[in-house]
Amino acid sequence: MAQDQAGQSNAGWKQPRLPRWVRIAVIGRNPKVTLVRVAILIVTSFVVFKFILLPAHVEGISMLPNYKDRSWNLVNRFAYLWHEPRRGDVVGIRFSRAVTNTPAGIHQAANWLEPPHVMLLKRIVGLPGETVAFVDGHVLINGEVLDEPYEKYACDWNLPPKELGPDEYFVVGDNRSMSWEEHTFGRAQRSQIVGKAIL
Amino acid sequence: MKIVFRIVLVVALAALGVWLWTVLFPNPEKVIRQRLTELARIASFSSNESDLARLAAARSLAGFFSTNVEFQVELPEFARRDSMDRNEITQAAFAVRSRAGGLKVKFPDINVTVVPDKQSAVADLTVEANISGERDPMVQEMKFTLQKIDGRWLITRVETVRTLS
Repeated sequence: MAQDQAGQSNAGWKQPRLPRWVRIAVIGRNPKVTLVRVAILIVTSFVVFKFILLPAHVEGISMLPNYKDRSWNLVNRFAYLWHEPRRGDVVGIRFSRAVTNTPAGIHQAANWLEPPHVMLLKRIVGLPGETVAFVDGHVLINGEVLDEPYEKYACDWNLPPKELGPDEYFVVGDNRSMSWEEHTFGRAQRSQIVGKAIL
Repeated sequence: MKIVFRIVLVVALAALGVWLWTVLFPNPEKVIRQRLTELARIASFSSNESDLARLAAARSLAGFFSTNVEFQVELPEFARRDSMDRNEITQAAFAVRSRAGGLKVKFPDINVTVVPDKQSAVADLTVEANISGERDPMVQEMKFTLQKIDGRWLITRVETVRTLS
């Protein structure tokens, strides 16, 4: 008798069902389609944020006031597929360049498949072939003062002219109120430029 | 169906063989990467390290270097251009571990180039060091030259690299 009662109560027990609108909101009308969508979203996010838009955590004050310490940014690796870096662009620069003896094509492919984990975030002021100098805190390109609306802090840097090679860019941070000895800036090879900061 | 099963079996066995081969006979690049990652792990330490642990770690660290190592290091507050033997490296590592409150070292981007004779290699890497009590990590590009000595990849030369010239 007891067994019968237990059996009856088990058979009669029903799992409490979520309201229809909750189920639709959480898992959609068709769970299989939702699962496929979630899988596509995960794969797409992985590919985009691993290989195309690299999340970059800004550490340090060299790009103040335009890029604050501890802020986040994204570096677009596709930015320079169709054109070369331009003056004023803020770019991610890789630290370790491969001193490899592999052919250039394989080297580039390896660079693409293994994006850097640590980068410098700097602004391009000098383009290949130009001569860059600092006089009383002003950037001189081929002897002419460069207009830099992004630079908010005045400085008194004086540095002798540097001529850039055919594959070199001159990069510097926006915060020139730091002493130049504490500031990382100078010539970067084109192959070191990972992409353009988009925020 | 039988043929499909056989093909799948052959492919699986081939994959297993390739995997076993890479495990038993890893290529030099992989070995060097593993050693450098291990070096970073041993170079890291916490503030509550005992003297005995310090000494053991310092000796272990020196074991990654050849008997005579050339240093060409230029940092904002430190410059060294000479060579050191293993004892000196042990002493230097012990001194650093005694003085500093803690250090976490990582080599996030390692590029290894092995010379065709597979007896020497160059590793270009980024050193990321978080010093206890300091807000921002120290990041520096470095180049290590390694040689295969008695079957082990040992560092023979350490030099800093200026990322922007």
